[in-house]
Amino acid sequence: MTQKGTKNNLPPKWPDRILEFFCSSTLVEEMQGDLLELYEKWTCRYGIRKAKFLYILHAIRFLRPYAFKKISIKHNSGIMIMNYVTFVFRRLLRSKTISAINICGLVLGLASALIIYLWVEDERRVDNFHSKGDRLYRVYMRQHFGDQTSAGYNSPALLPETLKNDFPEIEYASGYAKVLRLSQQGDTYESFQLDDKVYKMRGSRAGEDFFNMFSYPLLAGTAANALNDPNGIAISRKMANLFFGDVERAFGSTLKFGSENISRDVAVTAVFEDLPSTASDQFDYLVNWDYWVEHDDFKKSWGHFGTYTYVQLKDGSDPALLEKKLVGYLDERLNIKKESNVKIELGLQHFGDQYLYGNFENGRPTGGRITYVNSMAIAALVILIIACINFMNLSAATSLKRAREVGVRKVAGASRGNLILQFMGETFILAAFSIVVALITVYLILPAFNQLTEKQIILPWRELKFIGNVVLTLTIVGIVAGSYPALLLSAFKPARALKGKVIFSSRTTGFGKGMVVFQFALSILLIILTMVVGFQTSYIKNKDIGYNRENVIYLRLEGALIKNYKAFKREAMRLPGVAYVDRSSQTPHTMGLNGPFVDWEGKHPDQSVNFIPTSVGYDYVKLLGLKIIEGRDYSDEFPADTTGFIVSESGIREMGLKDPLGATITVFNKKGPIIGIVNDFNGQSLHHSLTPIVIDFKESLNFGTILVRTKPGQTEEGINSLRKAYSTYNPGYAFTYSFLDDAFQRLYQSEQIISKLSSVFGSLSIFISCLGLFGLAVYAAEQRTREMGIRKVLGATTAQIFLLFSRGFVKLIVVSILIAVPLAWLAANAWLQRFAYRIDLAWWIFALASALALLLALLTIGSTAVKAGVRNPVDTLRTE
Amino acid sequence: MRKTQLGEFEEIVLLIVATLGDNAYGVSIKEAIELQTGRDLSISAIHATLHRLQKKGYVKSFMGGASAERGGRRKRFFSITPLGTRALHAIRELREQLWNQVPHNVVNPKTT
Repeated sequence: MTQKGTKNNLPPKWPDRILEFFCSSTLVEEMQGDLLELYEKWTCRYGIRKAKFLYILHAIRFLRPYAFKKISIKHNSGIMIMNYVTFVFRRLLRSKTISAINICGLVLGLASALIIYLWVEDERRVDNFHSKGDRLYRVYMRQHFGDQTSAGYNSPALLPETLKNDFPEIEYASGYAKVLRLSQQGDTYESFQLDDKVYKMRGSRAGEDFFNMFSYPLLAGTAANALNDPNGIAISRKMANLFFGDVERAFGSTLKFGSENISRDVAVTAVFEDLPSTASDQFDYLVNWDYWVEHDDFKKSWGHFGTYTYVQLKDGSDPALLEKKLVGYLDERLNIKKESNVKIELGLQHFGDQYLYGNFENGRPTGGRITYVNSMAIAALVILIIACINFMNLSAATSLKRAREVGVRKVAGASRGNLILQFMGETFILAAFSIVVALITVYLILPAFNQLTEKQIILPWRELKFIGNVVLTLTIVGIVAGSYPALLLSAFKPARALKGKVIFSSRTTGFGKGMVVFQFALSILLIILTMVVGFQTSYIKNKDIGYNRENVIYLRLEGALIKNYKAFKREAMRLPGVAYVDRSSQTPHTMGLNGPFVDWEGKHPDQSVNFIPTSVGYDYVKLLGLKIIEGRDYSDEFPADTTGFIVSESGIREMGLKDPLGATITVFNKKGPIIGIVNDFNGQSLHHSLTPIVIDFKESLNFGTILVRTKPGQTEEGINSLRKAYSTYNPGYAFTYSFLDDAFQRLYQSEQIISKLSSVFGSLSIFISCLGLFGLAVYAAEQRTREMGIRKVLGATTAQIFLLFSRGFVKLIVVSILIAVPLAWLAANAWLQRFAYRIDLAWWIFALASALALLLALLTIGSTAVKAGVRNPVDTLRTE
Repeated sequence: MRKTQLGEFEEIVLLIVATLGDNAYGVSIKEAIELQTGRDLSISAIHATLHRLQKKGYVKSFMGGASAERGGRRKRFFSITPLGTRALHAIRELREQLWNQVPHNVVNPKTT
């Protein structure tokens, strides 16, 4: 943070570069010196923002003739080039509308393509910045059960160390806990205390080798000793500043660390630089792995699949070979017999691939987020192509006016090659101008874009790769957009061109029409996909998931609360604004633990039903607003209830119980009757299909999440009174809570971002297409001026001419719709397969998008068509 | 008249260069003028004028030593040349000559 701060205090670098480029080298030094001196004074007087502005302003004012470098001119080619540039700008000014459309389209296209490119690059950088990244692997586990295969990253906590001991190819190995307890999916915040400062920080546990493997720079301490002390802790710069003020004071000092159930002192053994936003595992502290594993019997067993394993191979080892050796590694340790129908295998995935390729298919990592990244990259390309096509169409459209120029040049002896070079050069000048404007645009909208996508992208001005790509884009855009008009114009026959009788052949206009169809087809495709993504996202956000997630907050059951939970609950239920308080072992929206945990009488040996188990107290059903369909809720009037279960409807159905109420089932060694049946509710995001839920009564089981329902409209009051109660019951732990509905929305974060992005770029693409259509309409109107004039003389009405004129364009749009709709259907359908709950691809989505495109197209050509219709034939026919 | 082509702004800059002595460089000149005249100036205007004055031979310049203060960049110090001094004198003489010719009651109407 501080580094960034000082960097921000400096004036921008680019005005300096401009001065160096343009001004004579004997003058630059004093100019820059004076500017810097003034800049410091301005900063004191006006603040940094104004000082920067003044700096740029004054730097630019230095660009006066006397200061310019003296260019020695060998040929007068310089003057010739200047002549071309002057020519280009004169021509631009002559037809302002068309020029504005042309440049505007190109700038928008380039800017969107650039910004998407930056986003894609940022996505690709995630987890790919470690210096030894090519040797870092993540272990995943594949399970075969009968003919079913599933896979995931969770592995036993003991695995890293034994792997390192058993395989010489492995140089380092470290565990990492993405989830501290199954009941707190994704919530890895823990409390820290120093004197009166109590904060919750996000962090985890990791093995001793961790900092040897991953290149997170250490500001204090060594990679070898950062995590080998059971009572040590490695903290980030941010956390060091928060608690101790600076890094030096933090190193070696002690903090009170309130982990799950005990509070203990830990000493700072290392301080690391704050993680870049491109690290997918985010943490502000790490503590010793072995200490954590040793203090939990479950984690010491091989059956605990709850942590991640990272390994670093020795230089030159073959990961494929190691993977082969690893396949059956767990058999012995898990006592899996050869003839069993369960098989558990280990595999290796490149660490850098985990973010983009995190989905498994047939037990191997295949795709994942990369689908989004690729689709955005394709969208960028499409927008760029649309912009190029525009440019081609518009240049061709205006080229008629230049027929005479071409004629004169040809007569004066210009060869076709010369003309091609000239027109290509003109396109390049325009493209270069547009790309500069596009870069400035990108620079200006990046902050907003970062907010939208929750990233920290900056424009990498100085990165060679970026500059190279910009130049490459410029070259490609220049060649693609410039070739068509160049070839078209240079082919004019001088004699006819000079007479002004150039009419394009039907083939040339056909090409233009083809391009319009292509553009609109792509735009309609993008619009349909945008709509589908938008509808699907709002559908899953608003779908009734079976419980009431409003006005519910949740906090973690930890520290002294574990002992005092009952007293805390009793007190909290009485607080103003609080309706219900209860605990559950899994948080309602992310019930990650599921499996065939339920046994019942009459179960067929081959039958396997996955259940999500959650253990709760007396008020859970009331708190979540679940509906009891049969039987009853837990009640303290019936002491026998403590052994009973409540099962969701689909669970009863899948078990196939005829007479469910009172039937005995066994869950995790606990045997008891079903006392109630509740409506189905989704324990996970709607990417997953509905899993039956079995609710178990364990009021005194002391881990999990405390759920609180506040009274409607009294949320703030409820939270404030809870905060007070919390501080007396759980000193040393920070009171942090989340809203259940917020947390639920965040499950669809990537869909929401994609939805926003696609709507922005979808509208941009249709806008650019419309610009192109407008240009073409203007051109067509000009071509057909005389025809329309004659028609009017012969008695055609304005309306008829309008219709005649628009008909041709409407035909083009209809053809584009016919091309786009089936493609869009295929793409949308493929995307929707990701969700267990999805909208129907109704015909009206396609109809709406098509109608929208048609309407926009009509509006675009409308004014030109009307103009063509109302023109007085006296004017249009006068030249005959 | 032809000998001493000196615009009003050039004259001020030249006078300030003479006033500042050893410490006449871009920023100090800019600030001195701003202080004396109350005008808001752009640094590039000062540079351009100094450049012009040097071309006319009224000032000469040399590069000073580097300091850490300005990002390690040296200052260009200016000093007035004898030709510059003569030009200032000439312009002042001309002014006084003209002032002396203006009737007293025209320039000081209130006192009469």
